[in-house]
Amino acid sequence: MKPRVAVPLLLALLVLTFLASLAFGELRLSFGQVVGALTNGTDEVARTVVRDFRLPRALVGLAVGAALGASGVVMQAFFRNPLASPGLLGVSSGGALGAVAVLALGPIFGFAAATLWALPLASVVGAFAATGMVLMLAQRGAGTERLLLSGVALNALLGAGTSFLLTTTAGHFEVNAQILFWLMGGLESRSWEHVWMGVPAILVACLLLLPLGRAMDLLSLGEQSAQSLGVDVRRLRRQLIVLSTVLTALATAVAGIVGFVGLVVPHVLRLAFGPDHRRLLPYSMLGGAIFLLACDLVTRTFPLGLRLGVVTAIIGGPFFLWLLRRPR
Amino acid sequence: MTAALHASALAVPGRLQPIALDLGPGELVAMVGPNGAGKSTLIQALAGLLPAHGLVHWNGQPLSRIAIAERGRQLAWVGQEAQFEFAFPVREVVAQGRYAWGDDLTGVPEALAELDLTHLADRPVTRLSGGERHRVGLARALATGAPIQLWDEPVAQLDVRHALEVMRLARRLSNNGSTVVVSLHDLRAAYRFDRVLVLDQGRLVGNGKPHDVLTAPLIREVFRVEATFVESLVPELP
Repeated sequence: MKPRVAVPLLLALLVLTFLASLAFGELRLSFGQVVGALTNGTDEVARTVVRDFRLPRALVGLAVGAALGASGVVMQAFFRNPLASPGLLGVSSGGALGAVAVLALGPIFGFAAATLWALPLASVVGAFAATGMVLMLAQRGAGTERLLLSGVALNALLGAGTSFLLTTTAGHFEVNAQILFWLMGGLESRSWEHVWMGVPAILVACLLLLPLGRAMDLLSLGEQSAQSLGVDVRRLRRQLIVLSTVLTALATAVAGIVGFVGLVVPHVLRLAFGPDHRRLLPYSMLGGAIFLLACDLVTRTFPLGLRLGVVTAIIGGPFFLWLLRRPR
Repeated sequence: MTAALHASALAVPGRLQPIALDLGPGELVAMVGPNGAGKSTLIQALAGLLPAHGLVHWNGQPLSRIAIAERGRQLAWVGQEAQFEFAFPVREVVAQGRYAWGDDLTGVPEALAELDLTHLADRPVTRLSGGERHRVGLARALATGAPIQLWDEPVAQLDVRHALEVMRLARRLSNNGSTVVVSLHDLRAAYRFDRVLVLDQGRLVGNGKPHDVLTAPLIREVFRVEATFVESLVPELP
């Protein structure tokens, strides 16, 4: 497809899924009601539903999708491997373990788990710890096998930590439910608090990434050649790893583990519009937001415990297997 | 005249003994040596791509004082590996050579033509053969317009004709004032260069004009083969 159509196409899909996110749910609203609720409509119920519940949920979904899409692109360029993504490498699990630790240990040690910043902060710390381990296990330009196997090991390790916290808090139903929420990811009952917790920082990180696209093109084809062509590789690598980890961590802090977005979205967009990162980065942000909002709509259509992380995995898992089988 | 490429006490622990070197502008330099002799290491150290001890100067300027973007305009390096993971079209990979120039496209079509890639310009690099990918790497280096060109085994994977064309290109660049360093395994090809550097076990054991350096005793010592000078089949471009 011509890159020219990408932006209008993606923007149209984003507006569509965003409006659908405001309209669909237990209470089905018409397009007119949604617009009315957003402007100065008189329908009190619609106003409350849209403004207090669906709008923050949709905004969080949009930001989380954009963050995970961008993070996936960055990790793929960084590791020079189109199969790298925050979920597969264990960065999401690290973020989740951080968040879960706050949830689980907060009540025990009496620090304020409910504080607005404790959760995202712990998530960022956990994600950075995981990223650090990935960097140690799989050195630069790591082969697919080494990278994915490190991810398997790291995911298992961090998952064990999370499971441990889950069992130690088995008596506290409330805490346990919250932890489970994080592990399966979701946008249910996301409030304006979550919007403020994640959205502004995600926006800033995304904006900081955009100018790095050209240098990422060069990095994605080799570190030394990029350096020789005039890219400050050390600085670029630092910027990329910090921004992508922060994005994954923030996404995980507000919506739990939502896998495969960072893998599926950049891949589809790369196939459609080519690997140029100056375009792929913004496209993946838009595409990630669309994908996440669409998956969230699916969870609302089948309300019987179908969680967001489950939906993205149902789509992403087979896609990943297809990628592995596909001849390069 | 200032050396285009100057090194003193240049060393990489465990891989390269301290080396002193002065290469002039317009010199066409062959680097030979057995596998593991340190050819790639020396090339990368000269290109500033490897942490190394000692001093390197490009055109009289110490490397540490040359900003990274400026380095991209002064020196081009082509590595042995030409592994491209992402399906950029050939043209765009070659255009990356213009990164340090703010991505103008000066010389990109010429570089494509020079390496016989014009007909492949729109093909994804992932769908090229090994030899074709090497030519893409060379075209990208050429597109930089850098006056110092360091090519690590550029012809190892090329067919006879393209290998000869690359050699001729190297000669032409040096005739136009560029300093071109090419590592290779073909001692007969090395004989046609202005200067030959011989590396053995991380040491520079030969540095001078080909017929002074590539003598039968040195070849026996370094490569452990017997060399005799006879007439033989020599492929040439028409």
